[in-house]
Amino acid sequence: MARLQHRGMTSEPWRVGVLFSTTGFMAVIEETQLRGTLLAIDEINAAGGIDEREIMPVLYNPASETSAFGHYAKRLMVTDDITTIFGCYTSSSRKAVLPVVERLNGLLWYPTLYEGFEFSPNVIYTGAAPNQNSVALCRFLIANYGLRFYFIGSDYIYPRESNRIMRGIIRSNGGEVAGERYVGLRAKPADFLPVMRDIQELRPDVIFSTVVGDATVALYQACADAGLDPKVTPIASLTTTEAEIRAMGFDVGEGHITAAPYFQGSGGERDASFVSRYKKRYGEDEPTNMCVEAAYFQVHIFAKALEATNSMDTDILRPMVLGSSLDAPQGRVSIDASHHTSLWTRIGRANRRGQFEVLQQSRSAVLADPFMIGCG
Amino acid sequence: MTRLPTEVSGLDVVVAAARDASGETLIRELQRTRARVRHFWPPPDPLPSDTDALFCDLVPSLPARLPWLPGEPKAALVVLMPPTETALDLDLLRKAAPEAVLHRPFTAPAILAALVLARSRFAYERRLRGRIERLDMTLRSMHSVERAKAILMGARKMQEEDAYRFIRSQAMERRVSVGAVATAIVDAHELIGLR
Repeated sequence: MARLQHRGMTSEPWRVGVLFSTTGFMAVIEETQLRGTLLAIDEINAAGGIDEREIMPVLYNPASETSAFGHYAKRLMVTDDITTIFGCYTSSSRKAVLPVVERLNGLLWYPTLYEGFEFSPNVIYTGAAPNQNSVALCRFLIANYGLRFYFIGSDYIYPRESNRIMRGIIRSNGGEVAGERYVGLRAKPADFLPVMRDIQELRPDVIFSTVVGDATVALYQACADAGLDPKVTPIASLTTTEAEIRAMGFDVGEGHITAAPYFQGSGGERDASFVSRYKKRYGEDEPTNMCVEAAYFQVHIFAKALEATNSMDTDILRPMVLGSSLDAPQGRVSIDASHHTSLWTRIGRANRRGQFEVLQQSRSAVLADPFMIGCG
Repeated sequence: MTRLPTEVSGLDVVVAAARDASGETLIRELQRTRARVRHFWPPPDPLPSDTDALFCDLVPSLPARLPWLPGEPKAALVVLMPPTETALDLDLLRKAAPEAVLHRPFTAPAILAALVLARSRFAYERRLRGRIERLDMTLRSMHSVERAKAILMGARKMQEEDAYRFIRSQAMERRVSVGAVATAIVDAHELIGLR
């Protein structure tokens, strides 16, 4: 049903759903996505809203429980009458929300890198697909550190799928996977001891990590305790951002490698002003990261589309979103017909101040190839 | 009498409606299809999910009371429409996402039609979801198949078509998917360290 409103007829807010965990083992990163979302909403409202109507977030905390994401998505769409939801970090939580937004024709804005191989008409993907981070990372690691990789990941969909894809990329670049291990999502430092023994025995050139959440801190600490020198054998990751580095301590994170569309400070003047607004609101010590940035710019893309349509109806909003562009903190990004986003590819190395120094970056935004059609 | 399709004979059916005259008609006609009917009123929260079909009044809390997430129904839902003189909440109906609706007064042919239509749509959507799931899996395994083919072409000097035929025949022999055989070839190749 089209809920077309004539402009200026109402001052009721535009209500949108927001689903990020502020407690539990994923809060370390999801809370930063919540902040990016709210910062953007505040900016839009401070500038007068959309057609003089404020955007009002309706927030739930799924507390890092996958099934809670599905239940809150149902509540948002069924009880709260909401059609647009910003949320989800893990692929499991996205898959829990997927049937709900698909059946009731909502729009989920998903600001997280993921393993690709998905295309839902009811999702806008604003994080990196594998061709936008994994391919460049793999080539960089082989050129600078060596051919032998060791995979360590959290045990859920994303790491296993991501490693399946990474294995293919490594092989087609002449490298090999020396070992592969998975730990629980709630892994504690002790759970990494057998992994460290394995690594010391196999002596890989690179440790490729898809460990997420609180367990990230335990992994990097375990590597430091085991005396691994990141100059020789770095941990390379697609998920370790400034937020996780801050949680583990700058000294523990120093020297390790991450590939991402965005690092704090990597996007020039527009980024500098974004970072200073973020710090002003959340504190001088709070770094931005790729997930904050995606959560932030996707709200602005949504607002631009809403400005043009003046309707929250998914079937009216969606065509306006597809093909739209925005000068995001990372640089110019655009959303294509596959519902994915053209993003920048950057490789960074963490320094002593918990920031990433960009070692390599693409010359412009890279088109997403979620089904890896153009890559081996 | 209308011949009853076998797929709607002897089902387990839940009815959540007031047990007035029309409610009694509904239960009686469903029982004539040899259905095991359980009756609830008012509708429990959540409604039971261990059933084949759910006939429920369009109460305001219906979408929230359904024992599944939208898009993952566990039973065929038939919404019992309110009497024609009451205002119709179309948004509520859309959110309940039923497979069929039934208007008052209930008649035997209308009840049968709603039951057959709801079960057939429910089964069809389940088949479609299964198809999408298999397609997703196939898409993922295609990369493994491409790599396995390349390995066989190099190691066994096979032509591309023969390599694929080999993978497929192995899959049939072992009664596993083509993707599983391809993954095994890629893994084994890696283990032996040939390149």
